[in-house]
Amino acid sequence: MLIRKPSVLVFLASLALITIVATVLAQAGLVSTSFVKLLGKTLCLCIAALAMDLVWGYTGILSLGHFAFFGMGGYAIGMWLMWDRTETIVTGTLAQSPLPPTPLEIEEAIGTQIFGVVGSSDVPWLWAFAGSLPLQLAFAVLVPGLIALVFGWLAFRSRVTGVYLSILTQAGTLALSLWLFQNDSGLRGNNGLSGLQNIPGLESVSQAVLSLWFLWASAAALAGAYLLAQWTVSGRFGSVLRGIRDDEARVRFLGYEVEHYKLAVFTVTAMLCGLAGALYYPQAGIVNPAEIAPIASIYLAVWVAIGGRGRLYGAVIGAAVVSLASSWFTGGGAPDINLGFYVIKWTDWWLVLLGLSFVLVTLYAPKGLGGLVDLWTGRRSRNVGPMGPDVGALRSKEEQA
Amino acid sequence: MTRTPLLTAALALATAPALADCPVKVGVLHSLSGTMAISETTLKDTVEMLVDQQNAAGGLLGCEIEAVVVDPASDWPLFAEKARELLTVEEVDVIFGSWTSVSRKSALPVLEELNGLMFYPVQYEGEESSKNVFYTGAAPNQQAIPAVDYFLEELGVERFALLGTDYVYPRTTNNILESYLKSKGIAEEDIFVNYTPFGHSDWATIVGDVVELSEDGRQVGVISTINGDANIGFYKELAAAEVSADDIPVVAFSVGEEELSGLDTTDLVGHLAAWNYFQSAESEANEEFVAAWKERMGEDRVTNDPMEAHYIGFNMWVNAVTAAETTDVDAVREAMYGQEFPNLTGGTAVMLPNHHLAKPVLIGEITEDGQFDIISQTSEVPGDAWTDHLPESAVLTSDWPGLGCGMYNTETETCVQIQSNY
Amino acid sequence: MRLILALVLMLTGLPAMAQNGPVQTLLQTYADDIAKPSRRTIQPVLDDLAASGLPAMPSFLEAWADKGIVQRDEDGLFFYGTREGDIYVLRSVEDGSDAGEVGRREASELKPNAGVRRLIGTALVQFQLNDPDPARRRAALESLSRSPSADLLEPLRASIEGEEDPALRARKVALDRLITVRFGTDLDTRLAAIDWMSDQVSLEARAALNGLLTTDRIVGAPDADANVARVLTVGDDITEADALALLADEDILPPEVTRADRDAALIAALDNGEVAGTPVHTLNTEAARWTAYEELAAAGQVPARPPEDAVATLLAENPISEVYDEPDPTITAAAEAALAEVTSRVARAQAADLGLDALSLASIYFLAAIGLAITFGVMGVINMAHGEFIMLGAYTGYVVQQVVPDYTVSLIIALPLAFVVAAAAGVALERLVIRHLAHRPLETLLATFGISVAVQQIVKNVFGTQAVPLTSPDWLAGAWVVNDVIGISYIRIGIFVLALIFLGVLVYILRRTRLGLEVRAVTQNPGMAASLGIDPDRVGMATFALGSGIAGVAGVAIGLFAQVTSEMGAGYIVQSFMTVVVGGVGSVFGTLAGAGLIGGLQKGIEWLNPSNTLAAQTYMILFIILFIQVRPRGIVAQKGRHAQ
Repeated sequence: MLIRKPSVLVFLASLALITIVATVLAQAGLVSTSFVKLLGKTLCLCIAALAMDLVWGYTGILSLGHFAFFGMGGYAIGMWLMWDRTETIVTGTLAQSPLPPTPLEIEEAIGTQIFGVVGSSDVPWLWAFAGSLPLQLAFAVLVPGLIALVFGWLAFRSRVTGVYLSILTQAGTLALSLWLFQNDSGLRGNNGLSGLQNIPGLESVSQAVLSLWFLWASAAALAGAYLLAQWTVSGRFGSVLRGIRDDEARVRFLGYEVEHYKLAVFTVTAMLCGLAGALYYPQAGIVNPAEIAPIASIYLAVWVAIGGRGRLYGAVIGAAVVSLASSWFTGGGAPDINLGFYVIKWTDWWLVLLGLSFVLVTLYAPKGLGGLVDLWTGRRSRNVGPMGPDVGALRSKEEQA
Repeated sequence: MTRTPLLTAALALATAPALADCPVKVGVLHSLSGTMAISETTLKDTVEMLVDQQNAAGGLLGCEIEAVVVDPASDWPLFAEKARELLTVEEVDVIFGSWTSVSRKSALPVLEELNGLMFYPVQYEGEESSKNVFYTGAAPNQQAIPAVDYFLEELGVERFALLGTDYVYPRTTNNILESYLKSKGIAEEDIFVNYTPFGHSDWATIVGDVVELSEDGRQVGVISTINGDANIGFYKELAAAEVSADDIPVVAFSVGEEELSGLDTTDLVGHLAAWNYFQSAESEANEEFVAAWKERMGEDRVTNDPMEAHYIGFNMWVNAVTAAETTDVDAVREAMYGQEFPNLTGGTAVMLPNHHLAKPVLIGEITEDGQFDIISQTSEVPGDAWTDHLPESAVLTSDWPGLGCGMYNTETETCVQIQSNY
Repeated sequence: MRLILALVLMLTGLPAMAQNGPVQTLLQTYADDIAKPSRRTIQPVLDDLAASGLPAMPSFLEAWADKGIVQRDEDGLFFYGTREGDIYVLRSVEDGSDAGEVGRREASELKPNAGVRRLIGTALVQFQLNDPDPARRRAALESLSRSPSADLLEPLRASIEGEEDPALRARKVALDRLITVRFGTDLDTRLAAIDWMSDQVSLEARAALNGLLTTDRIVGAPDADANVARVLTVGDDITEADALALLADEDILPPEVTRADRDAALIAALDNGEVAGTPVHTLNTEAARWTAYEELAAAGQVPARPPEDAVATLLAENPISEVYDEPDPTITAAAEAALAEVTSRVARAQAADLGLDALSLASIYFLAAIGLAITFGVMGVINMAHGEFIMLGAYTGYVVQQVVPDYTVSLIIALPLAFVVAAAAGVALERLVIRHLAHRPLETLLATFGISVAVQQIVKNVFGTQAVPLTSPDWLAGAWVVNDVIGISYIRIGIFVLALIFLGVLVYILRRTRLGLEVRAVTQNPGMAASLGIDPDRVGMATFALGSGIAGVAGVAIGLFAQVTSEMGAGYIVQSFMTVVVGGVGSVFGTLAGAGLIGGLQKGIEWLNPSNTLAAQTYMILFIILFIQVRPRGIVAQKGRHAQ
């Protein structure tokens, strides 16, 4: 059913093509492991952008906290990765002692190894289940979901909408990152969790191979997320979401429980972000509070806006283009421009370019890069209407009156 | 699907010794944008200057040296990514890089996986000794402990305020100091600890708390591990509260010439900093170094401790490569042990088997022109990877050439782990 | 090197010194100690120098402490030296007469550390107490208060009589009492001094009182003539662990068997895969190991663990008491009473001080947020680049200081200029971006965020990544000090005043001027306002200029007490939005209330947990999120249709 939609088909086909080409090139040694990792990570970011598009582009909730859910997923999986790797090391060391290790000794030794960096050796309660992969995997999805549920319930119930909700989500994100920055929070403070690229049990597999496995996993997850998102926005559910975006009050008058719809989207997208994070951070190797800082979530919105919100492939294109371009420009890949009196170094000027292009896209190309597709196909997408008035709607109508 | 060809290809890539094929490539892994650019850009310029100087002196192994600069943008995961890029794509022979501990910990797994070589130039909290990193900055026993000794012995301080930014270096350093102070007979209630966020600006209450500490008539001293910009607000508040260095001396471990250039230092005269290098050190090598730096970067630029660390590290590496007649990492590492190079402050730095340097410790008083008056200089102190002042690490030692282990338990006489704990 | 040289000279060059005067000769006796002094060893030297009675000695000591002495490397002689370019100009230590010059490399400056300088200061006290120069007398009193000593009590008392400066005289009297309390021999004068202190809050007075009340912990019955402060109850006054540690120190308690001790014993007893008959592979739980250890203990191979109830008995049998170091109970009782009085006064003062800090923080937040209160609160335009206006203002202040070196003049220029620069930037932003996004607040939010990123980076590219200095003029330096507890820096007072001024000006503009009327009209009903002949675009621009301009001025103010970096604005943006939202959108007084709440709250949480400022910020934001749940419209809620 979904598969028959041309945009979905094209998307899945291109995704498969990119993944296969990357694999073949990597096998042939033509692209480096770091590029494969970059690609895999970008695909994970695309999942987060998809989620952001669902919640903002389709439902009109500008959440400035979705990247925090992404980070939570990373933390959840990171805890297991660190714990298990450390446990292997520790039991190996303890096995050399004449006495067989007691459970307390093992736990203490793991605690010292993991938390020695932050000057502690006790295992915080947060780490109670860190030894179990299935539980931590579940937490990677459930914890963001639960937090989104509670936060969303509180916010939507008291009808916090528009920019107020944005600011509230941003404040919540700031609170979370400040909390994580503390050494006492039990998640290793500013250092975060590191060495995540070493997967326990797969020590014999080289990073070159692992990176491909993760690329495939990320591609599969993106494909799944895309189908899920497509399914969500098609049909009646999707229509209600767009209705909420365009005129929330009217949808409410039609008898829909607007809050339930918003809450459902908010929670599901948070879980999606958690899943993406759980795939992303083993590739990045380290997760720390800076990842969760409010600016990261704003960038997520930037990607979606540049890619073109209100259409799923737009979000994916935006995330991919901006994060790859960012990596190219800051990596010194772009040549300096010599103006004679001044040399533009892209490491210095890339952020200026990004910021300004973002303003320009908002002003002159609200459909973003996805709009280029319209030019090409020569038709206006059915799903892309006006971007949705929010608080200002009432006033603009007054003005017209 | 079989991936064996890929595996071997990657392994070959990773382990192929870089046999002095020209040019010799030096990777520079310092943030040029983001929050850490403030400190790290200077180090990038330092390495570039050292590379140019070496090229002017005839290069290395008959090759030109080329600096490959990348920008990890103060984004910690990017340090891992860029390190991998430097080692596999650019195939550099050595990396000079990192400032924060977290960025080093981020790059470590990659360095160990690909058997790279990195020189890390910043004072840090210790508790680490990787086979693939040479730590040219100070370990706690080369900065914090001597400074505290100075407080205890020369200033007669009996109550301590340990103020720090909330991250790993201050936390660990303060832990070490707390336990050291207790061993020196300072009671727990005489140690006040406070942590503030990065870039903190509201210091009135904290300064007030510190002043209150002197209420029982004993001498109070502040040990500051406050990082970066936050120092500006802190010192401004100290000056505003008219806390003179004679009343409550402050010794800082993260404030150098570079940080002071953002401040009017008239009210800070007499407060202290502990480093292994000050620009005001009187030696001919230092005068040449400072002059070369100013000529390259501008008259108003200053030199600082991590720059000297790179200066020593780079020259030692050059000498080690020359001695080994190859840039191959394993050969260079072997040649590094015992390398000696004159410090800019006088005396000689020696590379120890635990990958740390033996360097003198200097204590300086801030002067009106934003420099430091060196009032105390020890002989060379060997850097200690694992501190003697925490029970868990007191039993650990690091000796790569001798024991082949960076985390060796001397009690059980076993190697805890070959790789580092990240 | 220098040391060895001096040493060699000392041994070989004595005849050469004969031509020098008595000061130099005496100094050469201690040449090593003077060249490389340590606080621990210099005291006898200083005593000897001070006791020499040489009239030129005090000025030598002063110069030494001032780092004004150089030692010539070739002969180890000391001179007054001033650095001029690459040479030192030397003067004789005997009479200050000209003694030629020496190259900078041929002499070394003496740099006594602060501890030594303090001792020199104390040694100088007796010379300076009656010095005709009041500054010297003040310096003497400062040295004395830093390191009070019994020996100087008599000279101090003797100098009070002749003191003419009333402030110095009062200081001398106070110091006399402070030293009397500690070192006095006469009971009545000590009691009188203690009584005088009970009226003080100063750190010195508390220090003196606390100094009298130092105690030692004694295990077992104290001596009959001991001045016992109290007997400690285990659990209340002292934790059981500490009490046990004390008992263990006294060897009353058999040392506890730690887990490491136990494991070492087990390993030592390991024999043929068994420990005391237990197979070693079963020792993989803590309980099993303890059982095995107890079996070893039963066999007498290792010391037994002290039984649980024995600890209680031992603690009961060995009371722990605190004994004053001061033997006289009348003194300690009086001091306790005085200290109690002082402490309660200090607590009140601390509360007041915390209040002042909160007020100051609130005024900073208010100043940062007030511009936003106009653009966001009144006009409903969300501007994420607001923080960058603050930053631009601060950088304007910096640039002005580069051009105009006089801090006062530059501040007077910088404040209006910062307003103009930020206002111009605001108008540009409004005309170029925000106006085109009217009624699309979410997009305005994101577009202004893009501007914020770009502006930050441009400033970084232009001014560099380093923080730049913005220095306050001298009259704003220092602090308003009520007593040793309550004090606040003048800059913070200045910011408070500035905030008050802006509050007044804004309220006046919004309520009493044509512009204010138009602003209110446009925000309430733009269509109707337009039909009444008000140009909404012009009003929007004027308001935006005002709001941004105020942010620029706030930037200068904030830069005076904190760091000026390209990221400084970003640090205030979330807080500012919170302030506006918590206070209630659309009301200047609401912003005031919001700032007050947030500032007070943050200080309150910091006070509860003084060691972790970061936690305070986290809890504050969580509180605000919850607060908005309870009062979504903020403290001062707008009524009417504009409210939604």
